[in-house]
Amino acid sequence: MFKDKHKSDMPSSAPGETIIAQGVRVEGEFHSQGDVVIDGEVAGSVETLSSLTIGETAKIHADVKAKSAVVAGEVVGNIFATEMLELLATSHVKGDIVTGRISVAAGAQVNGKVSMGEGVTSGREKKTPSEQEETT
Amino acid sequence: MYCYLYDDYIQENKRFERELLKIENRLTDLGIAGKVSRLALFRNAEEMIRDEIQRGVSTIVVVGNDETMRKVIDVVADNEVVLGIIPIGPNNELARMMGIPQGEAACDVLSARRVEKIDVGIVNGRRFVTGLTMPNFHAEITCEDKFRVTSVARQAELEVRNLADVTDPRDGRFEAVIRAAVKKGWGIFGRTSFKESVFPLRSMAIRSEKPISLFVDGEEMRSTRFDIGIEPLLLKVITGKARVF
Repeated sequence: MFKDKHKSDMPSSAPGETIIAQGVRVEGEFHSQGDVVIDGEVAGSVETLSSLTIGETAKIHADVKAKSAVVAGEVVGNIFATEMLELLATSHVKGDIVTGRISVAAGAQVNGKVSMGEGVTSGREKKTPSEQEETT
Repeated sequence: MYCYLYDDYIQENKRFERELLKIENRLTDLGIAGKVSRLALFRNAEEMIRDEIQRGVSTIVVVGNDETMRKVIDVVADNEVVLGIIPIGPNNELARMMGIPQGEAACDVLSARRVEKIDVGIVNGRRFVTGLTMPNFHAEITCEDKFRVTSVARQAELEVRNLADVTDPRDGRFEAVIRAAVKKGWGIFGRTSFKESVFPLRSMAIRSEKPISLFVDGEEMRSTRFDIGIEPLLLKVITGKARVF
């Protein structure tokens, strides 16, 4: 009948995985080698050699670099995903995107330039012939 | 050569007499009996162990609990001897995580001598094995001198884990875990849930304007700044098959 109001929400973290949950703010140069999950606030820069998941409640004011990324929250800054970037319906991106492959769900908001292709090496360095420009 | 260090609460309590006798018999049967040193109120554990090491002891076995382990960790880690435990009575979380059963059964695990090197955490020059807790966390953390972490929730707690059920104490890192209370909904209909942030780190610093309390392996420290680091694979411990790492 009476449910516990102070319910603990503890995601099972894999070894080396970083979780920035709601209620926490990170400022500065955040670099990681393992997977990163963000549901909280980040300002500065985010970089990981593995996958990055940006949840619906996340507010990111930073340049983001990852091997692959799934975005459901708000990102103000450039996104660079070497392999794959997935923008979910709830995502808001204000910044340029450079990625190998992209998937954009209906409802996703992107305000910036999208560059993509196999030859992508760095956020702003190399542009591929198949450069697309998209502003919604 | 083994040295068995009996904590004073065991010697004072009659209910452990029979168990101690069984342990001593089993150790003799297994051929690993050794010198017995007894801790007492005005006897310095570190000094006793240093003397035994000079006499050629290579394995220190604590007969006691987590509190007894805490008394010897510094000197054992500095002298590169192997540390074992025969847990007796309550407050034996460390032994459980190392896979050592209570009482007489621990003797067989000691005899099997499965030695693992584990990381040791350090806070303001003081070593710890399991972890630290800060129940009322309203400070700023600087992680590896690169980024800062703060809690924006009204209520939060911090835990630093080295040896725990979900961490590997051999990876050269500790985990800083922040549990922040996040409320969803309005007024009396709102529900509070704790969201857990996890940061695997090698070093971190906690700063606060007012003195704050930090519990090191259960013991309180109070300061405005705490510098936390890790000493990789420093401590050699005897573990059982049931260990959590």
